Amino acid sequence: MTVTLESLTTCFQGLIPSLFFTCSSDGIPNAAYLSHVEYVDREHVALSFQFFNKSRRNIGENPNALVFVPDPDTGQGWSLRLKYMRSETEGPVFDRMALRIEAIASYCGLKGIFKLRAADIYRVASVEALPESPASDRTLITPSKLDPIFTVKALQDLSARIQRADSLEALVDSILEGLEESFGFKNSYILIPTDQEGVLVTMATRGYAAGSVGAEVRYGEGIGGMVAEARKPIRISGLLRGMLYALAMHRAGREPHLTRLARQIPVPGLSNPESQLGVPLLVRGDLVGVLCLESEVPYRFHEEDKASIELLGGYLAIAIQNMQWQERAADAGVETVPAQKDAENVADTSPGGTNGHELGGEHKLVYYGADECILVDGEYLIRGLPAKILWRLLSIRQATGREEFTNRELRLDKSLNLPEWKDNLESRLLLLRRRLEQKCPAVRLTPRCRGRFAIEVGCPVTLNVQP
Amino acid sequence: MIDPELAAFLEQGIGIHIGTRNDQLHPNGARAVAAKVEGAGSHLVVYVAEIAAARLRADLESNGQAAVVFGRPEDERSCQVKGVFVDSRSATENEHPLLQKQWDGFLGQLEMIGIPRVSATNWITWPAVAIRLKVTTVFEQTPGPQAGAQIA
Repeated sequence: MTVTLESLTTCFQGLIPSLFFTCSSDGIPNAAYLSHVEYVDREHVALSFQFFNKSRRNIGENPNALVFVPDPDTGQGWSLRLKYMRSETEGPVFDRMALRIEAIASYCGLKGIFKLRAADIYRVASVEALPESPASDRTLITPSKLDPIFTVKALQDLSARIQRADSLEALVDSILEGLEESFGFKNSYILIPTDQEGVLVTMATRGYAAGSVGAEVRYGEGIGGMVAEARKPIRISGLLRGMLYALAMHRAGREPHLTRLARQIPVPGLSNPESQLGVPLLVRGDLVGVLCLESEVPYRFHEEDKASIELLGGYLAIAIQNMQWQERAADAGVETVPAQKDAENVADTSPGGTNGHELGGEHKLVYYGADECILVDGEYLIRGLPAKILWRLLSIRQATGREEFTNRELRLDKSLNLPEWKDNLESRLLLLRRRLEQKCPAVRLTPRCRGRFAIEVGCPVTLNVQP
Repeated sequence: MIDPELAAFLEQGIGIHIGTRNDQLHPNGARAVAAKVEGAGSHLVVYVAEIAAARLRADLESNGQAAVVFGRPEDERSCQVKGVFVDSRSATENEHPLLQKQWDGFLGQLEMIGIPRVSATNWITWPAVAIRLKVTTVFEQTPGPQAGAQIA
């Protein structure tokens, strides 16, 4: 049976270490482990060139090499006879490999330390099964390969959920819910750009402990930040092994242990993620957000998953952007709450709270102007534009007793300084609402109708401004 | 050449591969099952499944050059022992428990990085050939800029 290289793409995920055998011109063999082998096309693979090590020197003298790659699905080992062709320092193969290295390093807090010098391209002369490593006839590492995930039915289900969503909140929740129920991706989150350049924030999560909404990620940090920076999807299998490899490189092998990893894994995220997939949500080049999926299964996301999710990402990006525009367009028809309404609201306000929504004792909210940040009873609540919006709402409420507001008046409020175009106000309000639910449930933003909402305060609050 | 600390690392049950080359300088290789340091560190015995050792035999008998790489998946610590072929023989039944113990240790290491034992269910480890090498050099191989530094 002739084995084609493209049939072995599952072997090129770096899940199980690959072996690289070379030989110097004076006949001394060399054997070394490889971080991973990259599939290029049906006749070529690429190996990462990061250091001038013995393997690399040997290749300079003698282009013949041998690589062992194991199939993570079956356990079958494969032997590839290679011949070095050239080194690439730019282009899609180089970019893909460099991004993978950076994503893993970033996840370990080691971004920028490891540089890919080149993607070394090898022609594959032959592919043979290793007789000592035959395929397992029992349960495979991941049975998912046998069960296509992206079926038309699953896509239809997700599409139907999205179609039913009547607000941005319902939309992002339905996306993550659909990814779990239709596709089986249990851990996911959506990041959106903040008003601060190069910073993303978690807007919706599924499968994680509560409290991760509002977590900020800078461009280049972790898989979400890397995806935003590169505007390309990233898939990492065997993340733990990749992290161990990166840490080993960083520490030069002085006995690092697994427990050290825990301190370097940021939130939101699984404590021991093995597979990650990040997809930019792009509409005509604009970054609407980043969708991140995680799994504790080492080889959860296959190549076809990445391609399918990328396609899906385009659809989701349009859906999110359309909803943002739709909500914004609806604002135009919503009138600012009149003064008389304010008076009614003042009359409704009880000392302890509004609308029967009473929760706990007094809360102290402090706004730090320099950081544009709000703390509730000494704990971080939110910062940036959502913080400014909340402070504005609470200040007006305290001064006038007014509780109902419109998105439109926020847009017109010069003190908030929202950009005229692409202000993402609905996303900011959604983020603010969720942070309040998590950190200060006594204060709620309750939608009244499209473009109009109320701020409900269920207990006495004191407002304090600090520089 | 191989001090006791390094010998303990090599014999603890980790990933082992042996590389050779033919007369045209084309490399060959095989996964090994276990290793044992002998002669106060001067020699290394590498146990390779018979079915895999067959493709190394001609190289070893022809030019004798060999490289053995050890890797511990838990932390990616790795080193490479280079040596010259001395002799080979079938592994004995008395040695079988040693091979099983080290192989089990290796599978345990794989489990630590998320690879279940079941994936190696059919990997062949026995009968095995004991390939004895005279150690010439030892190199640090842990990923990073120090990889390739001679340590013995």
